Amino acid sequence: MKALILVGGFGTRLRPLTLSLPKPLVDFANKPMILHQIEALKAVGVDEVVLTVNYQAEVMLNFLKDVEAKLEIKITCSRETEPMGTAGPLALARDKLVDGSGEPFFVLNSDVISEYPFKEMIEFHKAHGGEASIMVTKVDEPSKYGVVVMEETTGKVEKFVEKPKFYVGNKINAGIYLLNPSVVDKIELRPTSIKKETFPKIAAAQGLYAMVLPGFWMDIGQPRDYITGLRLYLDSLRKKCPAKLTTGPDIVGNVLVDETAKIGEGCLIGPDVAIGPGCVVESGVRLSRCTVMRGARIKKHACISSSIIGWHSTVGQWARIENMTILGEDVHVRDEIYSNGGVVLPHKEIKSNILMPGIVM
Amino acid sequence: MGSSTEEKVVAVILVGGPTKGTRFRPLSLNIPKPLFPIAGQPMVHHPISACKRIPNLAQVYLVGFYEEREFALYVSAISNELKVPVRYLREDKPHGSAGGLYHFRNLIMEDNPSHIFLLNCDVCCSFPLPEMLEAHRKYGGIGTLLVIKVSPESASQFGELVADPVTNELLHYTEKPETFVSDRINCGVYVFTPEIFTAIRDVSSQRNDTATLRRVSSYEALQPATRIPADFVRLDQDILSPLAGKKQLYTYETMDFWEQIKSPGMSLRCSELYLSQFRLTSPHMLASGDGTKSAIVIGDVYIHPSAKVHPTAKIGPNVSISANARVGPGVRLISCIILDDVEIMENAVVTNAIIGWKSSIGRWSRVQAFFTLLITQAEGVYNSKLGVTILGDSVAVEDEVVVTSSIVLPNKTLNVSVQDEIIL
Repeated sequence: MKALILVGGFGTRLRPLTLSLPKPLVDFANKPMILHQIEALKAVGVDEVVLTVNYQAEVMLNFLKDVEAKLEIKITCSRETEPMGTAGPLALARDKLVDGSGEPFFVLNSDVISEYPFKEMIEFHKAHGGEASIMVTKVDEPSKYGVVVMEETTGKVEKFVEKPKFYVGNKINAGIYLLNPSVVDKIELRPTSIKKETFPKIAAAQGLYAMVLPGFWMDIGQPRDYITGLRLYLDSLRKKCPAKLTTGPDIVGNVLVDETAKIGEGCLIGPDVAIGPGCVVESGVRLSRCTVMRGARIKKHACISSSIIGWHSTVGQWARIENMTILGEDVHVRDEIYSNGGVVLPHKEIKSNILMPGIVM
Repeated sequence: MGSSTEEKVVAVILVGGPTKGTRFRPLSLNIPKPLFPIAGQPMVHHPISACKRIPNLAQVYLVGFYEEREFALYVSAISNELKVPVRYLREDKPHGSAGGLYHFRNLIMEDNPSHIFLLNCDVCCSFPLPEMLEAHRKYGGIGTLLVIKVSPESASQFGELVADPVTNELLHYTEKPETFVSDRINCGVYVFTPEIFTAIRDVSSQRNDTATLRRVSSYEALQPATRIPADFVRLDQDILSPLAGKKQLYTYETMDFWEQIKSPGMSLRCSELYLSQFRLTSPHMLASGDGTKSAIVIGDVYIHPSAKVHPTAKIGPNVSISANARVGPGVRLISCIILDDVEIMENAVVTNAIIGWKSSIGRWSRVQAFFTLLITQAEGVYNSKLGVTILGDSVAVEDEVVVTSSIVLPNKTLNVSVQDEIIL
């Protein structure tokens, strides 16, 4: 089986992290975001993944060579020379996706984190026999998104309504699709939107079916959702594979600590914390609802909550980092500094307090 | 003519009363402002110990209109400690800064002093009293004022004066002028000869005469009566202004620091000044430590002997810790005043704050304040709001809470972070 992962854009909403790495390679729960998806695809028998990229393709390819070797899965890039919308990349990748076997292929939005129930989706797709399957997820505020209006029992999609003013349904497009190769023939090679053009056509032909995504779903393309997504992910990990979580007297709630990380005495870590490879957390540190990326050092007595600490950064003694502070790569926060929602670009030293949320260039 | 060993000196310190200390709330809700600790000692202690350096000091009087019992304990303790008789005299009603002095003139003159010092309790300075006395003797007038040069922008908050550069005579005096008069201001520290009482009496009797005169004319009797009582005499407007230029009053200029402790935020700044003065005059009062047996101490820090500070804490600069306070492991204190019985738990941070009696600060919590401009009234770089965070007595800050630039009244518990608020 094959899969297409729509990587596309510049990842501007996840800056400053995406100033150092392309978004799919930004770590989430101690693993590059895209690796979560590739591993899940491999597990259902996908043997080739095509990534559509138009930005920093070389960086992606280098990383992916390692993955190819480790997971024994073929990974290629399909380069967009100009942004092609969401459907255009499919047409572009046509020769890679359509191999004559007639098997359906997955299309994933690279920002989406979920339990990736691909096996169930394949079964669903075979059962309804339609041309395309789409995962939908239930949300509290559907009018912020594009709502998928569907028949409850069969899942047959009737139509899409973008940001509806009145309630039409509470299921939105989760960004996970399983498509028959025949879909590709219906797409022209120009900027095309899957939602606005391709799918309505298929829906009209009664060929599109929606499955409600079991488990959690998060679009982690921006910091606030990234932090919420980590909580959902760790929650799911506790149910499926609790051995992977860290336990101990200094740990509270769901905490993921890489085996190469070091944690000092008298700390209190958690809930919803991920500490990456090579990190050093000195004694007396309090971490909650935060991510500490590879190689970062948190010095004694510091307190960090609801924030992201970028690769190889340091947080000084007695510093207080909170309220969606995002430190880019190689940021050094001096002792005793207070940051309330600071967004700090890479390679900076923070010598004075950040009292209100704002960007430090 | 040299000073005879018989010549005695008396010092009078004006301490004000409850209605005068409102800007010092919420701290003054629990304690009279003159007893609030600055650099580990009650505010009034600093002028009193400065008085001890005056040769032949016979007596110190504290004059104010607080209840006597508020000062009873302090006064007997400080008399014992400094081996100087200190007595609190309560005015039944405000008499003004000169009227208070006059009201107790009989008591003050009991020791037949040759000179009388008058100090304001909320003045923070180096109190060069022996030097003032010597200068005053040379000038031969009835009074000498301590003066200091300040920035022209800030001068209008005070009494501005003009002095003769050669003779140091006080030529002109005006209180809080609207236009610029001078950058020399009145520090609120004076030395007088007993003739000052005559001068005050003259002002009082002039008032009485004017009052009598007013009753004569029926037209004037119809005017609203806004007369000041005869015995309310203000030193500045009623004595200094009229006597300026008459070869009666002189000035002595100080080149050291000077501030007025009008607000809690200023108490933190003045604490810093007095602590740095301790380093010169009485370094044994200051704490030290390097983290091995006792906590790391940076800069000037006062720690009461009964306070307990964990060796892994880091304290200073500019920190005062009062009696029975407990500072836990990994705590960081910078520029703050920690009052009696406060408990600060592990890894907490306190900076630019005053923590009231019996308060508790939770683990990893942070009590802090920011100000964009440094507030120093005398230096003229000022902002009307001083951003120091103040916790009243028995305030509880729960674990991990952040309190920023806020004022919290007594007995509150904070379980969520706050910024720029007044919590009633």
